[in-house]
Amino acid sequence: MADDGRLRASGRAADRGDAVTATADGVRVVLEGRITAHTAVPIWQSAIETLTRNPDRPVVVDASGLEYADNVGIALLFDLTRQERLPGAKVQLEALPPNIAALLHRFEPHDFVTGASTRRHIRTLEEIGRATARQVAYLEELLEFLGGCLRVLWQARSRPGAINWGDVLDVATEVGANAVPIVLLVGFLIGVIIAFEVGLVARQFGAVIFVVNGVGIAMLRELGPLMTAIVLAGRTGAAFAAQIGTQKVNEELNAISTFGLDPIEFLVLPRILAAILVVPLLAALADVVGLFGGALVMASFDVSFLQFCTRLLGAVTAGDLIIGIIKAVVFGLTIATVGCHRGMRTGAGATSVGLSATSAVVTSLVLIIVIDGLFAILTS
Amino acid sequence: MAQTQAQSVISVRNLRMGYGARVLLDDASFEVYRKEIVVILGGSGSGKSTLMKNLIGLHPPMAGDVLIDGESLVGASGEDKARLQRKLGVMYQSGAMFGSLNVLENVRFPLDRFTELTLAEKNLTARMLLHMLEMAQSESLMPGELSGGMLKRAAIARAMALGCDILLLDEPSAGLDPITAANLDRTILSLRMNLGVTFVVVTHELQSIFAIADRAIMLDPVSRAIIADDSPATLRDHSADARVRQFFNRRPDEIPANPYGRE
Repeated sequence: MADDGRLRASGRAADRGDAVTATADGVRVVLEGRITAHTAVPIWQSAIETLTRNPDRPVVVDASGLEYADNVGIALLFDLTRQERLPGAKVQLEALPPNIAALLHRFEPHDFVTGASTRRHIRTLEEIGRATARQVAYLEELLEFLGGCLRVLWQARSRPGAINWGDVLDVATEVGANAVPIVLLVGFLIGVIIAFEVGLVARQFGAVIFVVNGVGIAMLRELGPLMTAIVLAGRTGAAFAAQIGTQKVNEELNAISTFGLDPIEFLVLPRILAAILVVPLLAALADVVGLFGGALVMASFDVSFLQFCTRLLGAVTAGDLIIGIIKAVVFGLTIATVGCHRGMRTGAGATSVGLSATSAVVTSLVLIIVIDGLFAILTS
Repeated sequence: MAQTQAQSVISVRNLRMGYGARVLLDDASFEVYRKEIVVILGGSGSGKSTLMKNLIGLHPPMAGDVLIDGESLVGASGEDKARLQRKLGVMYQSGAMFGSLNVLENVRFPLDRFTELTLAEKNLTARMLLHMLEMAQSESLMPGELSGGMLKRAAIARAMALGCDILLLDEPSAGLDPITAANLDRTILSLRMNLGVTFVVVTHELQSIFAIADRAIMLDPVSRAIIADDSPATLRDHSADARVRQFFNRRPDEIPANPYGRE
């Protein structure tokens, strides 16, 4: 392998005793050896330094000793020729190998004048405004998508077989039956935790028996559906977005469309229907095991199982359960709609599938909390 | 061969390669000389892409050796192997552009990782490469937004970014329209002429082979050997091997004689 590239320029080289002519009428910069990606850094730096140190004198870059320049070396040579100089202080390349000269001829000094970062600086207020507008636009788009789905569902009612109930069942198995263990675990633990934390405080006031009211209402109205929805947003929302997103990237959606099928009818409706059917069932399951967990904890606070049940029946109404179940239906609809919508909006490439899955989870979670708040206001 | 005095940049010695018990190529030897454009060809399943994976050290050969600039790639490991691999620029069949980076960032990626250049210097280098490959207008596009031909040119720019003067291209013209493919051939020739780049190209596009190749190396899956190693025109007109002549003259297999005796 030949030796590394070198630069001999007036100022710096003189320090090393490697004198190069720096006469009154000009400076010579001598390039030697091989200038490659691995050797170019110091050469580039000192060449530009030499140029800036001699702003008013013409510079001759002598490439007669140059053995080889790769694309980085060529960028270096080009960079030297395009520097802004005073009139009469031009940079001139001398003894360039013809192949490199031919290459450099292809570029104009002004070809790449745009700086490294052309991004306009965006102020905080503007950024907030843009972000808000984006969110509003997204919500509009989501509602439009939901409207489209409902329209397709309405049209499908008159055509028997339009909705593939086999698909709905498959999705329901995956979304519902396979999620039972995790929903049981989370529901049970939430019941235990709530009863324990509230019980400790209530005991100080001798009001342990009222904990039953608290656990009952909290589980049925809030935590049962909410925890189920949070588990499913992570489990199912992400899966919907990734599945449909991958199908979009693989052009499967286009294939479905060219067969004259509607991707919404074919892919989205079964998922939405399955989620609407299954999420309330899972929420009811979470309610039951949560109350059971609460009852177990209350036993350690000297409230017997029978006492717990009696008290519970006095404290909660069918309305509490029904509100919880209605919430669960809405949460299921939200998770499935957001997941499918993000999947359908996936861009190109593997990265965008990941982005779709992430944003499906985040959007569902935010919407679930917001909707929960709306329910709290409406049913108070 | 006429170029015995030329410097050999890739040297394949008695290579045996394949997967498990399936040997695709046995006892194969050939050289790639500096500034040469060598085409590796063969029917589907003859091991062209596998040979390329062996050349770049992604797949270890069963026996034999691959030398890059005289150093063994097969025997090397760790940083030594990585250093040898960095001498090779590779364009994969799918382009293999990083989906989360735009075109400019993709081309700059090897410079970011392996050089101390400033951002402005790296950007200039990357932009000049993209300009050479007629991709200057597309630097801020994401790979997902590129057409097939653009993707391949961007991939070549990235393969070259670290000053690699040995480029291995896996099916560069597959799936491209004839004009785009011809432009790509012209780019390959101009990179060889202006930057002295050595090319190993896996392809079976006959037009492209005649346009660019100094030498064609033909693999045969049945005999598991290199059955031809010469200039494409010589192989087409003077090869002693019927399979080679058949390939270069683009003739299908002989149809068995009509048993009904009618023409």
